[in-house]
Amino acid sequence: MLLEVRDLKKHFRVGGGLLQAGGTVRAVDGLGFSVDVGETVALVGESGCGKTTIAKMVLMLERPTEGAILFEGRDLAGLSGADLKAYRRHVQAVFQDPYASLNPRLRVRTIIAEPILAHERPDRAALRRRVEEVLDVVGLPATAADLFPHEFSGGQRQRIAIARALAVNPRCIVLDEPISALDVSIRAQILNLLADIQERFRLAYLIIAHDLALVEHFSTRVGVMYLGNMVEAGPTEEVFARPRHPYTQALLASVPRPDPDHRPPLDAIRGEIASALAPPPGCKFHPRCPRAVERCAIEPPAWRSLGRGHAGACHLAEAT
Amino acid sequence: MSQPLLRVENLRTHLFLKRGVVRAVDGVNLHVDAGETLGVVGESGSGKSMTSLSIMRLLPKQSGRIVEGSIWVDGIDLTTLSEEEMARDWRGRRVSMVSQDPMTSLNPVFTVGDQVGAPFRYHRLAQGARAVRAAAVKVLRRVRIPSPEKRLDDYPHQFSGGMRQRVVAAMAIACAPRLLIADEPTSNLDVTIQVQMIELFRELQRDSALGIILITHDLGVAASICNRVAVMYAGRVVEVGDVRTIYRNAAHPYTQALLNAIPHLGQKRKRLHAIGGQPPSLIDPPVGCRFAARCARRTAQCEAQYPPEVELAPGHKVACWLPGPEAR
Repeated sequence: MLLEVRDLKKHFRVGGGLLQAGGTVRAVDGLGFSVDVGETVALVGESGCGKTTIAKMVLMLERPTEGAILFEGRDLAGLSGADLKAYRRHVQAVFQDPYASLNPRLRVRTIIAEPILAHERPDRAALRRRVEEVLDVVGLPATAADLFPHEFSGGQRQRIAIARALAVNPRCIVLDEPISALDVSIRAQILNLLADIQERFRLAYLIIAHDLALVEHFSTRVGVMYLGNMVEAGPTEEVFARPRHPYTQALLASVPRPDPDHRPPLDAIRGEIASALAPPPGCKFHPRCPRAVERCAIEPPAWRSLGRGHAGACHLAEAT
Repeated sequence: MSQPLLRVENLRTHLFLKRGVVRAVDGVNLHVDAGETLGVVGESGSGKSMTSLSIMRLLPKQSGRIVEGSIWVDGIDLTTLSEEEMARDWRGRRVSMVSQDPMTSLNPVFTVGDQVGAPFRYHRLAQGARAVRAAAVKVLRRVRIPSPEKRLDDYPHQFSGGMRQRVVAAMAIACAPRLLIADEPTSNLDVTIQVQMIELFRELQRDSALGIILITHDLGVAASICNRVAVMYAGRVVEVGDVRTIYRNAAHPYTQALLNAIPHLGQKRKRLHAIGGQPPSLIDPPVGCRFAARCARRTAQCEAQYPPEVELAPGHKVACWLPGPEAR
């Protein structure tokens, strides 16, 4: 396994002013998943479900409160020196907004060379070749290297961000909402490019997204998150064809479809996501669940296998 | 046929910027009947937001100007009104707008009751603090805010994202407008909240003869609310028709390409049909069809001359030299 996440937790302390007691936001509250070489694993869920916090921990921008992240079987918490540097090289990121993720004062050449120079000392000619090589991979001309980010459209900027991630030959790229800031007609270009690159370099992707149609199209396995927990996971085709958790079912039913005769049902889900500061007891989804029974409000459901590589945490999963 | 509620005729709105004149809206014709929802679909830069700002007469003061065309509502051409008339009798009163971001369209330092009451005070539809409060409670109840009388004194940050968007909608419908323009009203919301907002719009329309213009880039959202859909590209409407016609029998290659370029739930495809290239610059738009450079069907004629609008079926209009079903 390339990347493995085990019983991961991230709690944030908040508040605690003069007149108020502080609280703990359980952004990620004990979950696991793994990403294998060459596959695309997606994490989906509504805002506040903790998917971005997971991405940050995988990128070592946040430290887990509990649990472990393993890369090729080794715990990140134990890495230091050259091993740590190697990890940072192997796992790269492409963020949502290519207007914010590229330094406006640097030329594209410098933007792409920066990660390379952080890891090795190539001579000028080799560096130049490498920059032009990755620009070519993402479909930009070599002349793009001498321009500034503002001279490019959103789609082209996202190509530059992808080139920067590719420059150090990573094994895994974390894609945080990689197309949601782009125009509809540009999205397909970027998705197709990401698919080509993955095949060519045998990359693993961990994609964070809220667009379920995108996840269905793009990922091989999917994890559905709710309030810091995984509620259902499995092969994408299986989960989308036979969703077993009421939350996954509600999410899938709610997606507006480009079909005038499709009406999303209104009773699939009630209310809004609870606060991670004071999550409901029992199953965290029970206050919104159309099928909740007494037990759901008391006992948190255990994570268990549902067959065909499919797993979930719901007391009523059998009944579906 | 009676008069439509809104008729936009040959609207041209240009932005006068340092780097040149951007022809943001460049000859747009639209109409909206009472009680119907017209979807305006397009990418950023297609002119959909500038069209709505033109109707509201809220263009950027320094740079934006309607250079040609008319906007008829109830027999009055809004382009001829003074700012005073527009503010007194129209904006927020007979035509109103919900903008994209519920975070920035509410003032964080005033209570929700103050803000929802503002249109009643401004347009003098309620006299005295008590009457304004009562009116605010009534309209908050219409947008399904639970126990509105208790929430009047809360501030926007005490509301969730979905509830905030409802508050914004309440302000927009406060004066019972004839026309509501909703600019991407659901795009920052999670899908489960989106469904609730879509239903709210439907309810608002059922109770009154409200005409709605829904501006969106999300073809799924447009399909679920709209009666008719207009597709905009580079400052012009390239295709308009009944919602079923647009989704089942689109005749413009751009509409077809848009529908094929995004993944749809339950229709797994190996590869998406990307639309190559990018929209043209509107400072110096091409003389011919503006989509020609990205169109698989283009001919020399497409590049030489802008196509005339043809009516393929009643109400289904398309501006294309070679309209018709996709080549397989």
